[in-house]
Amino acid sequence: MSEDRDQMLTQQAGEIARLLSYVALLAVSVSMFLEARTIPTSRFEALGAGAFPMLVHALLSLLLISAIIGAVRRIPTEAYPRFASQVVQWVQARRLVLLMFLCLLVYVTAMPMIGYPIATLVFLLILLVTLSPKTKSAVALSVVLALVFSYGLNWLFAEMFNVFLPRGR
Amino acid sequence: MDAFLLGASEVLSFSTLIMMFFGAIAGIVAAAIPGFTVTMAIVLTLPLTFALPPLQGVSVMLSVYVGGYTGGLISAALLGIPGTPSALATTFDAYPMARKGEPGRALSLGVWASFFGTLISTAVLIVAAPPLAVFAVKLGPWEYFSLIVFALTIVASLVGHSLQRGLISALIGLAIATIGTDPMMGRPRFDMGFDALRAGLPFLVVLIGIYAISQLASEVEDPKSIKTGEKLVKGEIRFNNLSVMREVLMRPINLIRSSMIGVAIGALPGAGGSIANLIAYDQAKRASKTPEDFGTGTPEGVIASESGNSATAGGGLIPMISLGIPGSAVDAILLAALMVHGISIGPRLIMDNPDLVYGMFIAMAVSSLMMLLVCVVSMRAFLRVAEVPKWVIVPTVLVCCIVGTFALNNRVSDLSLLIAIGIFGYAMKALDYPLAPLVLAVILGPIAETNLRRALMTNNDWSLFLTRPVSLIFLVAALLSIAWAIRGFIKNKPSTPQTKDHN
Repeated sequence: MSEDRDQMLTQQAGEIARLLSYVALLAVSVSMFLEARTIPTSRFEALGAGAFPMLVHALLSLLLISAIIGAVRRIPTEAYPRFASQVVQWVQARRLVLLMFLCLLVYVTAMPMIGYPIATLVFLLILLVTLSPKTKSAVALSVVLALVFSYGLNWLFAEMFNVFLPRGR
Repeated sequence: MDAFLLGASEVLSFSTLIMMFFGAIAGIVAAAIPGFTVTMAIVLTLPLTFALPPLQGVSVMLSVYVGGYTGGLISAALLGIPGTPSALATTFDAYPMARKGEPGRALSLGVWASFFGTLISTAVLIVAAPPLAVFAVKLGPWEYFSLIVFALTIVASLVGHSLQRGLISALIGLAIATIGTDPMMGRPRFDMGFDALRAGLPFLVVLIGIYAISQLASEVEDPKSIKTGEKLVKGEIRFNNLSVMREVLMRPINLIRSSMIGVAIGALPGAGGSIANLIAYDQAKRASKTPEDFGTGTPEGVIASESGNSATAGGGLIPMISLGIPGSAVDAILLAALMVHGISIGPRLIMDNPDLVYGMFIAMAVSSLMMLLVCVVSMRAFLRVAEVPKWVIVPTVLVCCIVGTFALNNRVSDLSLLIAIGIFGYAMKALDYPLAPLVLAVILGPIAETNLRRALMTNNDWSLFLTRPVSLIFLVAALLSIAWAIRGFIKNKPSTPQTKDHN
């Protein structure tokens, strides 16, 4: 019984999250529709460069409005106050995903400055050691993998495919 | 005939065969690892094929593709976890068979059924693609635009759990495709002052971000499961290849029916192997004299599922070769690989580059043979790969995605785009938006826009979309696909199983 209730609460939280996504997408879509209207038309054709985007964003906005109406009707009012705490729980449960994206952002930002091999070595060491079980063999394997995929891959692409990965400044 | 021989000589050259051999191994290994999809394997293969001639590159990717459809069977049969969604129905009978002490038989049955399924679909591809291309050349921009509308609506209605979100996803894809210079007059649009956006979002960066990065992020959602690994193989596995081959061939009706279902569904844009295996299994069960045996480890079920999903590989190439419309994400990557080499895609492909098309036909057949050889000779070694833990897979494949993206254009700014699209893709996935319609819309968007504007440049009359018969048929089919999906959702019992949207 409590499992059913948990499932229902999760579904309601999902519905609210989707509702917010519809609203955000609608805002973007409407602003892009308005921007598309400012694109000048060509005298060589009936439709200008802005016509197709306007068509797409008009349809998208209509669909999003109908989705918003449907979601608002489905979601019970008592579900909204719970939503903030459910989001916090959801984010906490996915801390590794957040860490992964954070590491990726730092990695990609640092790569042009310090070069592919060093950036990749550090990125892989941090992520592999964080995700792996805390045993000596796992740490040793992490170091080997980090070396192979940083310096090894850099060498492979340079020597075999003539693709030079960022060298840093 | 000359073109056929030219294509054959290129595919059957020693260097291509060796690379295809490794491609088949890579495909099997990739799909055998739960969480690593065939699409991701093909995405990672793509940058490695840039330095190769077009046919050689596509042949290697086809071998990964064919190998991948078979590899999904390994974890399906032994763990009961489909390595790819296309192996879902395989778990129904191959897993009980393996649990009953016949894991070798379950695997061999799957491998042989996959082999024959791919061969049958290749034969249909050879027969169907050229006449369809000849017909497609006669189509005007009205028909092309309507065809793309049909393709997108059918993808949106077939994948995911909600038609509405499927359509929203497709329209987001079309909106992404409008970023950058317009395809007719080269006028800048929506670049927001960023140089990286001026040329538009590179399709492959979108694809890697949406499919690979978001999928990898999903794999680390559960902190407990990522650090543990389960042993795959328990006990001894024996392969009796000749008797199993006879066993498969003794069920010709099931084999041919399932393969034809796979071909037909593969040819529909967006459907693919993840649906084909379920429908083929369902039809085999309905036609069987002993339907009660299904689900308990009957060979009929394994043969139906595996021949059905493998036959979609050839089926998916039919619209890609004859119309230039990719049927699935994997076909879209193959199409992009050809575009990277400067080959124009569309119905003229078979007329302008017949050696390439015939070469692809031959490569399909050779790939299935390679897959069979590799599986028969060294299946036991492959079973080890399913033991590779997620904590190794996720970071190393992430680095491969980064390197692959950089190698596309040698641009660091593409990497920032990749991460942004990866985060966007993960958010969409978490919110239960299907991703396949978005990805296909990104590649079909410029084609749709060009044809719409060309149609209205030729004649300013919108009613031509409804008065030209072929265009009308596609538009009616698009409406019907939406109506059919709405009916399915209302009844809450869709006649076609709704599936995950990655292969």
